[in-house]
Amino acid sequence: MSSGYEILSLDDLERVPYRGSGEILRPLRRHLGFQPFGVNVWSAEATGDKLIPPHEEDSGHEELYVVVRGTARFTLDEETFDAPAGTLVHALAGTFRTATAAEPRTMILVAGATAGKAYVPFNWEDVHIAFAKLDAGDAAGGRAIMEAGLSQTDEIWGRHYNVACYLALAGEHDAAFEHLRTAIELDRDNVMKWLPHDSDLDPLRDDPRFQELAE
Amino acid sequence: MSVAHIDELDRIEMADGFVWHPIRRHFDIRAFGVNAYTALEVGGQIVEEHAETQLGHEEIYLVLRGRARFTIDGNDHELSAGQLVFVRDPQLTRGAVALDEDTVVLALGGKPGEPYVISAWEAMFAAVPYSRTENWGEAIRIHVEALVEQPEHPALLYNLACMEARGGRHLDALLHLRRAVELESKWAEYARKDSDFAAIRSEPGFPA
Repeated sequence: MSSGYEILSLDDLERVPYRGSGEILRPLRRHLGFQPFGVNVWSAEATGDKLIPPHEEDSGHEELYVVVRGTARFTLDEETFDAPAGTLVHALAGTFRTATAAEPRTMILVAGATAGKAYVPFNWEDVHIAFAKLDAGDAAGGRAIMEAGLSQTDEIWGRHYNVACYLALAGEHDAAFEHLRTAIELDRDNVMKWLPHDSDLDPLRDDPRFQELAE
Repeated sequence: MSVAHIDELDRIEMADGFVWHPIRRHFDIRAFGVNAYTALEVGGQIVEEHAETQLGHEEIYLVLRGRARFTIDGNDHELSAGQLVFVRDPQLTRGAVALDEDTVVLALGGKPGEPYVISAWEAMFAAVPYSRTENWGEAIRIHVEALVEQPEHPALLYNLACMEARGGRHLDALLHLRRAVELESKWAEYARKDSDFAAIRSEPGFPA
């Protein structure tokens, strides 16, 4: 096989618990290094398991969900329906969407991007992979993934902020404060939307440096 | 929000024997390319042999149902449901035949670093059933609609001129053909031999 193409089974993709709600992300775009738009896979083992995290895609992306296997129970805005394998669900930004598995071993592929804009991977998948490593006891491995994202130039404040969250939970408080300070210097307004109530930063709140930054 | 099953989409049989199921067009997706393909018979073409040299697209082909034999850059690979091939290099030729009766292949594609632009071939494919039944009015309408978004697309202009020539709109055909040739001179060579232009080839101003 040449380096110009790659073959894989979706079942062979890494299984990453989605932080906060437990869905299982299979990070396809990251695995392939695919650049034109976002594409990922979500899977659930048992009926009733969470499949697609509830969200409204405030990124501005339009999304297409393709049920690859099993049956998914979708909720889009007020409507709930079962979608067997081969079903295509198109959702524009702002539409509330979530799904659970209505059959064992259900799998969904989702593609998404913003019309009229070149796609820039924000590497949000990395955050979930890094935290999964932290939960599995590989704090250094997770930190390396988080810090690799700092080489990107877009939304750099958010990248520093996410690294600060990770390091706060990993017990690396000095380094967490450094990244939090950088995030505030880059975009104080955006940081302050999150900082007051973000539980990731709870390990830092009793430190005088936190009060200093929050003022 | 809208929902459809892949078996409910339009099925457009192409001359090469594969069947195009237009997903992007069905949902009017503007951010990326996505379509499905089936074959007319086991052993029949399901993904036409082509490269993405002109469009520069990276492509993912996912077998949604059944099995398909892909030939990528001269190498054969048998893929079953849940397997995909990612063709990163636009220069590589790729194609596939169906190995099961109900095989479905999902194709996703776009060009890295650029906003997605609807591929002109979609309008040409969509017009095929109308050309086949000589419903030139509808075939022309589909091309005109595509040209609203890409008014200077030479292949679209050329194809539109073909439809217009066949449909008796000779002046429009000449104007659109001339514009296609102005934009890309190779279309003059095609036009000289294209039977679609039989009715206007002797007209003054025919680019030959």
